[in-house]
Amino acid sequence: MEFLLMNHPLDCPICDQGGECDLQDQSMAFGSDRGRFTEVKRSVVDKNLGPLVKTVMTRCIQCTRCVRFATEVAGVQDLGMLGRGSGEEIGTYVEKLMTSELSGNVIDICPVGALTSKPFAFKARNWELKGTETIDVTDAVGSNIRIDSRGPEVMRIVPRLNEDINEEWISDKTRFCYDGLKRQRLNDPMIRGADGRFKPVIWRDALAVVAEMAHKVKPEEIVGVAGQLSDAESMMALKDLLNKMGSNNVWCEGNGSNRDADLRSGYIMNSSIAGLEKADAFLLVGTQPRVEAAIVNARIRKTVLAKQAQGWGPDTLLEIAERRHPFSSVLLNAKNPAIIVGAGLFERKDKDAIFSALETIAKYANAVRLDWNGFNVLLLKAAQAAALDLGLVPESENSIESAKFVYLMGADDVNLEKVPADALWFIKGIMATGVDDWKIIRALSEVAGVKLPYDTLGAIRSRIKTVAPNILNIDEREPATFSFSIKPESTKKMDSAPFGTAVDNFYMTDSITRASKIMAQCSALLLKK
Amino acid sequence: MSFTLRSVKVPPNSVSLEEARHRVFDFFRAACRSIPTIMDIYNLQDVVAPSHLRSVVAAEIRKHSSVTNPKVIDMLLFKAMEELNNITEHAKQRHHIIGQYVVGREGLLQDTGTKDQGASDFLKEFYKTNYF
Repeated sequence: MEFLLMNHPLDCPICDQGGECDLQDQSMAFGSDRGRFTEVKRSVVDKNLGPLVKTVMTRCIQCTRCVRFATEVAGVQDLGMLGRGSGEEIGTYVEKLMTSELSGNVIDICPVGALTSKPFAFKARNWELKGTETIDVTDAVGSNIRIDSRGPEVMRIVPRLNEDINEEWISDKTRFCYDGLKRQRLNDPMIRGADGRFKPVIWRDALAVVAEMAHKVKPEEIVGVAGQLSDAESMMALKDLLNKMGSNNVWCEGNGSNRDADLRSGYIMNSSIAGLEKADAFLLVGTQPRVEAAIVNARIRKTVLAKQAQGWGPDTLLEIAERRHPFSSVLLNAKNPAIIVGAGLFERKDKDAIFSALETIAKYANAVRLDWNGFNVLLLKAAQAAALDLGLVPESENSIESAKFVYLMGADDVNLEKVPADALWFIKGIMATGVDDWKIIRALSEVAGVKLPYDTLGAIRSRIKTVAPNILNIDEREPATFSFSIKPESTKKMDSAPFGTAVDNFYMTDSITRASKIMAQCSALLLKK
Repeated sequence: MSFTLRSVKVPPNSVSLEEARHRVFDFFRAACRSIPTIMDIYNLQDVVAPSHLRSVVAAEIRKHSSVTNPKVIDMLLFKAMEELNNITEHAKQRHHIIGQYVVGREGLLQDTGTKDQGASDFLKEFYKTNYF
């Protein structure tokens, strides 16, 4: 204890780690109340690790946990130990930012205050924060997180341990997106006036206008798009509302317009995230897990470590399907081959052909058996799986082109260029008004004269139970019952256009992260190659 | 500053419920007696009648009609007396009196219910707040 504290500064009162510091706890339990060290304490120059991690290197006790994390989990060999003896220090050798998507985790694993959160610096003390355990929505992984708040303000986001999903890590986007919650919020419903400006109105007027518009158009011209951050309850309400109005054109953004939700195995991670560790060969198609789901990437990396992922085009995929490619033999020899398909492919026109090629591969590689299901779909958005579970699939492919009335439930990324110019809009941003989405829909349904039969969260959940009971199966992973083997064969041809990137900027993928200042800094500094 | 109602004191404890009850009536009388002064100093002749103010005081008292603990009644009386003193001393301004006792808690936007007639409880709650 004395040796550890010898060179450790006595700045606990101004240290962000104070109150949750391992060294503080240890020295309170085992330390002496006075030191015998009389010489000058050493000091170390602070390192610049980017916009997320603040360093006070004098506090470092050289435990090298951050070095191990960066090398072994994040897979970036950025950090290392320099010097020897009392000159030993952690650093990047040359001035270099930490560009990993998981870099924020070094804040958690640092036992002292050497690596702390830059956006959280001097903002709050951990004992004045109230923790709320919840699930992350910035990607489709569903990382377990705890949101620490002081009063109404979110102060920080930290991970919770869940060995089946995120272990103890979360991505930087999850950890630092919270400042986006504080900016560009709508407080009142607004209606665009004749002069083209938005005017705040009260709910009674807003709902009356929307209900009137909805009755002016034909039922099949009504379209509903659920946003990528929507909750299952709201999506259920949206689908029920549109169905009651006579339209079945409702989907979730990111799912494309022609998804069939009949087979659950066609859109979930069938081998489970933890199960990926058992796989011994990976075929990644149209996906870049590093930016689409950084936590899953860490898991894959944990498994393969030395092997490298390759970018496949549709031609290569066809070659593998026809066993003309050398990778086919790797798949054939693998005991537990895992195929991971990116959800970016959902938007492609030749989706069916790609999936049937993948199913051919899965069949000959024996990837789907009783004890192992290696056919995985890596979704991009938090709401996608629940949307498909609830059957949010559009009736016709081109429904948006003939739409007159569009209900965008927090959907910001829909391509609206195709919508006819005379369409009547009802846009509702995701961060609207601090009112639960399902309540708005329930209220609108009553004003429009198609009253939905639920008034409470409990009632809407029992409605969900009749549609998709697996959603209410909390804390347990519900595997899909049927695999694609019962799916009808597709005879369509594949398009030779290469698979695009589904996520251009890891740090900005939804309305919250786009409003976030920290995420803007990250994309400016860390994406520069 | 002098307390105009210094003579009406709330002694520390009522021995029985009966005594507390008497004190409530004493307070009500004191309040009624000060109403003309209040009307005068706050210039309320145009906005309210003395009888309305009396019934407001009575309603405030009746709001706590279920309280049977003499100690609690004493405490409420003390607060009532404090409020009355503040008012008679002109420690408040005209809009305080109007806002609190003439217009009432609901404010000027009193919903007469014509618009929401036939609406479900859910919708009525929804227009008020998100938290229900």
